[in-house]
Amino acid sequence: MNINGVAIEDTFAEAFTMRVARLIITGRTPRWAREAATKLTGFATSVIGCKCEAGIERELGGQETPDGRPGVSVLFLTMDKASLPEQLIVRIGQTVLTCPTTACFDGLPNVPDRLTVGKALRVFGDGFQASKVIGGKRYWRVPVMEGEFLIEETFGMQKGVGGGNFLILASDADAALAAAEAAVAAMTNLAGVILPFPGGVVRSGSKVGSKRYKGMIATTNDAFAPSLRAVTQSQLPEGVNGVLEIVLDGTDGPSIEAAMRAGIRAACRPGVHSITAGNYGGKLGPHHFYLRKILS
Amino acid sequence: MSDVITLSLTTPPEHVLVADCVAADRFAALSEKDIAELPVMHGGRAARLGDFFRVRGERSDTVRAEGDLARAEGIGAGMARGELVIEGDVGRDLGLAMSGGRIDVRGNVGDNAGGARPGASRGMTGGEIIVHGDVGDEVGARMRRGLIVVTGDGGPGTGKGMIAGTVVVSGTAGPGAGRFLKRGSIVALGDIEPPATFRYACTYQPPHVALLLRYLRLRCGVDVAEQRLTGRYDRYSGDLAELGKGEILRWVKS
Repeated sequence: MNINGVAIEDTFAEAFTMRVARLIITGRTPRWAREAATKLTGFATSVIGCKCEAGIERELGGQETPDGRPGVSVLFLTMDKASLPEQLIVRIGQTVLTCPTTACFDGLPNVPDRLTVGKALRVFGDGFQASKVIGGKRYWRVPVMEGEFLIEETFGMQKGVGGGNFLILASDADAALAAAEAAVAAMTNLAGVILPFPGGVVRSGSKVGSKRYKGMIATTNDAFAPSLRAVTQSQLPEGVNGVLEIVLDGTDGPSIEAAMRAGIRAACRPGVHSITAGNYGGKLGPHHFYLRKILS
Repeated sequence: MSDVITLSLTTPPEHVLVADCVAADRFAALSEKDIAELPVMHGGRAARLGDFFRVRGERSDTVRAEGDLARAEGIGAGMARGELVIEGDVGRDLGLAMSGGRIDVRGNVGDNAGGARPGASRGMTGGEIIVHGDVGDEVGARMRRGLIVVTGDGGPGTGKGMIAGTVVVSGTAGPGAGRFLKRGSIVALGDIEPPATFRYACTYQPPHVALLLRYLRLRCGVDVAEQRLTGRYDRYSGDLAELGKGEILRWVKS
């Protein structure tokens, strides 16, 4: 398969089942909603080192938020059920509660599995907190120096997908970056998907374990590092001198597929040699996204 | 099973009609005939609901009542779920001690709406009462949970002795509003005079009020002006002669 002269490898991205929550953060202005969301999703690129993965799904207008103010939708993922509420409580408490004018709402209202995040955070109010039931949902009003922080009592948790990916193999680092930026632009604001890495792009793709250090969970993907072509079992074709990876997490498989489709098409531009994907032979992750099938 | 059960007033009561059998959840399991046979008290004498109303529909928890029910008392008492729409005025004790569902009145309502039964410590414990009109004395008195919205004026003692919950009054709240409040909120979009046992706290934009008013506008068909949604409110804490964890939120004209 070939798109705009860019070869699409006959391979698949291997992804994992994770647990996901969606948060709606609103603020007086889009800026303040974004400030909170940016802090909330900071240092949340990979469960390997951050214990969670998070990112801004999309920006919301006043018509799309519960309180009619501008907002931001955030997806938050962990590998297991227990760690999702732990991460949410710590992170919301330090980044959204602290941010001027913001409020925090559940973005998965119809999901039966509920996390009592707001209920846990209410105790910051030191007994002065109060609850309100509006439209069948309970909200907590936590008094703060600015006024009140409003947070929904429970947040929905459902199964999600983490680790969808594709790699952009380009003639040089600049061409790879330009293609990655185009891909990210095409995938930004798509529902049900986040790109948890900086700017949506990963330069340090990893392999499982280490050839040299026993304690390392993940180390550099030497097979795709151009500078190691001569000293390792490289998988890079001739003429490829720069590789960048896009990693996607989402609420479900179809959302990941739709985003990969848009992103790969946008990345097929001059200077790009081929598009491939990372997998573990299909033995670790239950979700397999075949590039050619997605793009056909 | 019908989509909606309609009660049309055919014989206006000459005396007080105690019709506390009229509740959406109670009708959900009853046939048209059974509903008409439900007992009521008219002027202290036993009667049947069918003596006053024409019943259409059965086995539904959506009920619509038509006619001037200003002499009908106790409608929606103890209701736990469903929707009851009343097209016209209705008498006292509407939604007495109800625990769920919604009562929507397109008219004025008598005293003690959402209140407690005689001698009981708690009024309504859940659900919503939306009144597109005025209410009588002591609306929401001793309510424990739930929401009451009055688009007109509230009578004396609005929210008296509330334990929790929310009362919203668009017009003027009568004297003594919020007296003996333990917890809960009285949101005054119009005039209100907080009792002397309330203390001013601050003027701010309570985020839950915007959420609540938006909910009323979008889901309950209540006409809420934009300046109420985005405006600032004076917060009075009280009743300080009681627990003092309640509040009166008074909209500030800008």
